[in-house]
Amino acid sequence: MKEKFEVLTNKKWFSSLLWILLLIIAWEVGAFVVANTKRIPENVLPHLYQIIIAGFSTDKVTGDMTATQAVLSSAAQTLLRGFLGFVLGAAIGFVFALVMKMSGVLEKVLFPYLMLIQLIPVLGLAPIVLAITGDINVSRVIIAAILSFYPVATNTLAGFKSVEKEKYDLMFICAAKPHVIYTKVLIPAALPYFFTGLKIAAPMAVTASILVDTLQGDGGLGCLLSQSLKHAMSIYVFWLIVFFSAFVGILVGKVIGWIEYGVSPWKRRA
Amino acid sequence: MEYEVKLEKVGRKKSLSQRIKENKTWQKASTIVLPLIFGIVLVGLWQTEVLHSWFHTDTFTLPLINKIGGIMGDISDKILENTIATVEVAFFGLVIGSVLGYLIAMLAALYPKIGSGGLSVIGAFASIPVVAMAPVLNNWTKDVSTDANLRSMVSKIIVVTLICAADMGLNAYRGLTELKPFSEDLMAIYGAPKKITLWKLRIPNSIPYVFTALKVSVPASIMTAIVSEYFAEYITGVGRAIRENIVLAQYSTAWAYIATACLIGVVAYVVLMVLQSILLRRYH
Repeated sequence: MKEKFEVLTNKKWFSSLLWILLLIIAWEVGAFVVANTKRIPENVLPHLYQIIIAGFSTDKVTGDMTATQAVLSSAAQTLLRGFLGFVLGAAIGFVFALVMKMSGVLEKVLFPYLMLIQLIPVLGLAPIVLAITGDINVSRVIIAAILSFYPVATNTLAGFKSVEKEKYDLMFICAAKPHVIYTKVLIPAALPYFFTGLKIAAPMAVTASILVDTLQGDGGLGCLLSQSLKHAMSIYVFWLIVFFSAFVGILVGKVIGWIEYGVSPWKRRA
Repeated sequence: MEYEVKLEKVGRKKSLSQRIKENKTWQKASTIVLPLIFGIVLVGLWQTEVLHSWFHTDTFTLPLINKIGGIMGDISDKILENTIATVEVAFFGLVIGSVLGYLIAMLAALYPKIGSGGLSVIGAFASIPVVAMAPVLNNWTKDVSTDANLRSMVSKIIVVTLICAADMGLNAYRGLTELKPFSEDLMAIYGAPKKITLWKLRIPNSIPYVFTALKVSVPASIMTAIVSEYFAEYITGVGRAIRENIVLAQYSTAWAYIATACLIGVVAYVVLMVLQSILLRRYH
């Protein structure tokens, strides 16, 4: 019995499970305390099962949709645009890094600005972008793109720079053409860095697209969030959104990890 | 050196552009001169409203730089007040979060069986969008104080803390465990207890990683502070000021606050770099 337990504790997922259980217990204890002391406990900390029930209930929260339907339909609106911006920003970031690597002059010109843009709180710009474009969907894409652009660009550039001199020398000995050096050496070397950049960018893109919603009452997750917080509809919608966006944030990180695993064979060998 | 090969200049001289490219002084100077030229061109385009025609906007939504500067001067005392509110949140959150993250990383490094899972849970916290966390914490901190300013401050600090703790925890764990080859074995040969290994080996090894974490979390803390201000109960801070002014269609004032936010970011980064160069002197 004891041995069996030991095998169990040595499993990789065991400690994660332990911590998740601890978190759930802490949440439920908190919920019990809140339920007994607060007038409207569901505003502060509802029980987890209450949130799950709200997710599956068939009561309409808006005109014709249940809570889950409402969350999912506005999530589609928000996250698709956020995803579009994310892909766009990541692609631009990668190309940017590539161009900076190819041209020394451009790198010198742009690198300080790449550092600078990291220090600018881009989400603070969200209202201005909305004012300039005038269209909430365009601004969702733009903000998500800007936010995903710079982590990808800086990380990929760092990846290009991490290539050792010996590899260049080898390529020189092989008389490799420049485009071969890029496809065979530089881009594979930069891939792990590129994915690190994506992992940093993904939750930011989700945050950004939700945040942009709250600026204008035109549908979307953020809009639903603020409506629910102001008690225009059931407060459980708010909790569903909180859990849903947390889930999406974590899931996107995982999916990027899987894609990385899929496109880098050298990772599978280990 | 007797074997030194002397290269004779053969054939035609190098072209002017080639010689400029290989000139050491030019190489050094160009890292400063080229971005500067780009910046000046950008400012020029902005001031002459070329940028406006590119983005199909007007000087009302995208005011000229001198106007933004003028407004920053005019309302400097108000800007200062909001800046202090934001910086306080970002700073306290950063400090508490980093210390907390480091402690968790230390625990995980000492007791890897239980700790590693804790780290992945912490990592999951990092990918929770701020917009989901800020309103929750607003609700949770309702009882902290009767003063709306104080309690919204606390909730903002907690959000920043969580973000920074995740960042620091993951990086510091790498610093505490990815040791130089055999150094851990050496400590074992000395018969060093866990505590000594921690103090003499792991912690010094982790310092560069701490700065790697800070390089990400300093800008992130400011951005998180700004976003959580959007949801905070008490209206204060640079982020909130940006939003309030946009709502009132006072775009020039909003731009003044955006410029302030950028300044805060840059100043914080410079402070961090100075600190790093002082503390990491022996690593260079």
